[in-house]
Amino acid sequence: MTWQPEVDEINRRRALAEACGGPAAIEKQHAAGKLTVRERIDKLLDPKTFREVGKLAGRATYKDGELAAFEPAPYVMGIGKIDGRPVAVGGEDYTIRAGTGFGSDRRKGGQGGFIEDLAFEYRIPLVNLIDGTGGTVNTVKRKGYTVVPGFGMDGFERSVQLLGIVPVVSAVMGTVAGGPAGRALLAHWTVMVRGTSQIFAAGPPVVERAFGTKLNKEELGGAKVSADTAGTIDNVAADEEDCLRQIRRFLSFMPQNAWELAPNARSGDAVDRCEDALLSIIPRNDRQAYDMRKLIGMIVDQGSGFEIQATFGRAVIATLARMDGYPVGIIANNPMYGGIIDVKAARKQAHFTELCDAFNIPIIFLVDVPGLLVGPESEAAAIMRFGLQSRYLLGQITVPVFTVLVRKCYGVAGGNVIDRAGLNFKIAWPSAHWGSLPVEGGVKAAYRREIESAPDPKAREAELEAELRALSSPFRTAEAFAVEDIIDPRETRPYLCQFIEAFQGRLKTQLGPKLRAGVRP
Amino acid sequence: MATKLPTEVTGRVWKIIAAPGTAVAEGDTVVIIESMKMEIPVTAPHAGTVKSISVEEGDMVEEGQSVGTIE
Repeated sequence: MTWQPEVDEINRRRALAEACGGPAAIEKQHAAGKLTVRERIDKLLDPKTFREVGKLAGRATYKDGELAAFEPAPYVMGIGKIDGRPVAVGGEDYTIRAGTGFGSDRRKGGQGGFIEDLAFEYRIPLVNLIDGTGGTVNTVKRKGYTVVPGFGMDGFERSVQLLGIVPVVSAVMGTVAGGPAGRALLAHWTVMVRGTSQIFAAGPPVVERAFGTKLNKEELGGAKVSADTAGTIDNVAADEEDCLRQIRRFLSFMPQNAWELAPNARSGDAVDRCEDALLSIIPRNDRQAYDMRKLIGMIVDQGSGFEIQATFGRAVIATLARMDGYPVGIIANNPMYGGIIDVKAARKQAHFTELCDAFNIPIIFLVDVPGLLVGPESEAAAIMRFGLQSRYLLGQITVPVFTVLVRKCYGVAGGNVIDRAGLNFKIAWPSAHWGSLPVEGGVKAAYRREIESAPDPKAREAELEAELRALSSPFRTAEAFAVEDIIDPRETRPYLCQFIEAFQGRLKTQLGPKLRAGVRP
Repeated sequence: MATKLPTEVTGRVWKIIAAPGTAVAEGDTVVIIESMKMEIPVTAPHAGTVKSISVEEGDMVEEGQSVGTIE
């Protein structure tokens, strides 16, 4: 006696689940430039590590007690490995009724689903591969009554809880609105595929009814709007394979959960690599821009950078990278955009600061910031409120912040790059200068009466400027120990690497979810 | 095929550095845009010869707008 007949039945049903929505639906998915959820999971995970859960879930129809037809649940999930580390992964199967819910006893994934619970209970990262249309009005027909949003298992409670516990990634891999769009946002990092994915609060038909505006889905919620302009989604992938590669790369910088540190991954790049080009990368003319990405590349472990929100808030560059193998978060001003902090750049800086703190990733500021963006548009967009979020967070976070002043550091924005709650440790390059206001303009404001009453106001203004400029040599500040060091720019890498290594012991003393009090501006 | 030279920022054309016919190396500045009191270069994405410049000094340009082509 064996249970072979039943095992045969398991295998038969597994094969039915493997078929997704059938050959025609799969072909349609491929024609749209999209992979099936099973193909996505296979490409995302280390080979042969996917252990699926709930493969037998679906809608069965029986004839004379025998299984006559089977429609798999439109959600595939389980655990697997990325770079040898366990992860939980799940995604809607768009080939089956566009990935809508299927009325199961328990949700497989999405908000409140089994895979979220698993990531929570096991303390492992969660990857959401989102390609579903969410609720449909058909549900009302099935249930016989309407529900208050967030009813039952759909309320995002677990999704929110996960954000303090384990790294959560959401990839938008189709057109998503409503619930799945909301689920996508409750993540530490989000990515979408340019051209084949869109995200919005509601799609084109709803917008047309509300405003009479006719837009296609790409115009309403494609990457150009959702990532580049709005920063709703962090990163953009060229295609699905690139998207899955980016997910692996993001997770390589993350620990498994808030109680662990991300692994060190030394590349063999020498700590004492001192690039000569750093000596001349900052132009002597303050008005001249230079390539901050090149500067970053010369300091971090070669090829280790992974930019977050590269196409949004571009006055700031936020990139994960490694120093002697240790993960770090770099926040740098981009002189190609004047380095001026506008609302978008401020949002990006605050979000990245919080992300690094949540998972104990030290922050390095590379500073060349003339200030917050002034003017009526900027004020109307609440620049002071968003500009102060960074300051608020710097008073709360517990990861070390290393500040390298490479050129300008002025005003409120200049104060947002220093670890005031911690060691307040800042080093400068000889090209750096700082103050509450740049000398130009600042002189006019502070000495207006003196300038106006001078026999030659222009000459007096120039005189005062020269006087103040002489006092703004970084060496004078170093003498007063008001900046902790001025270094040869070429020493930056060895200098920072040594301090980051020295802080690793401290990081181990502050593991676990971070609790914050207070109200963010 | 000619490659477009888009500016990364909105601003005013401050200087045209490389006139049509000039040979440029990758990374060389072709046009300088003045924006937010900064001189922001539009650089050659690859080595070649400047084929055309479609702006004049003093013109306003929008982010992403091409200021010329190289070949």
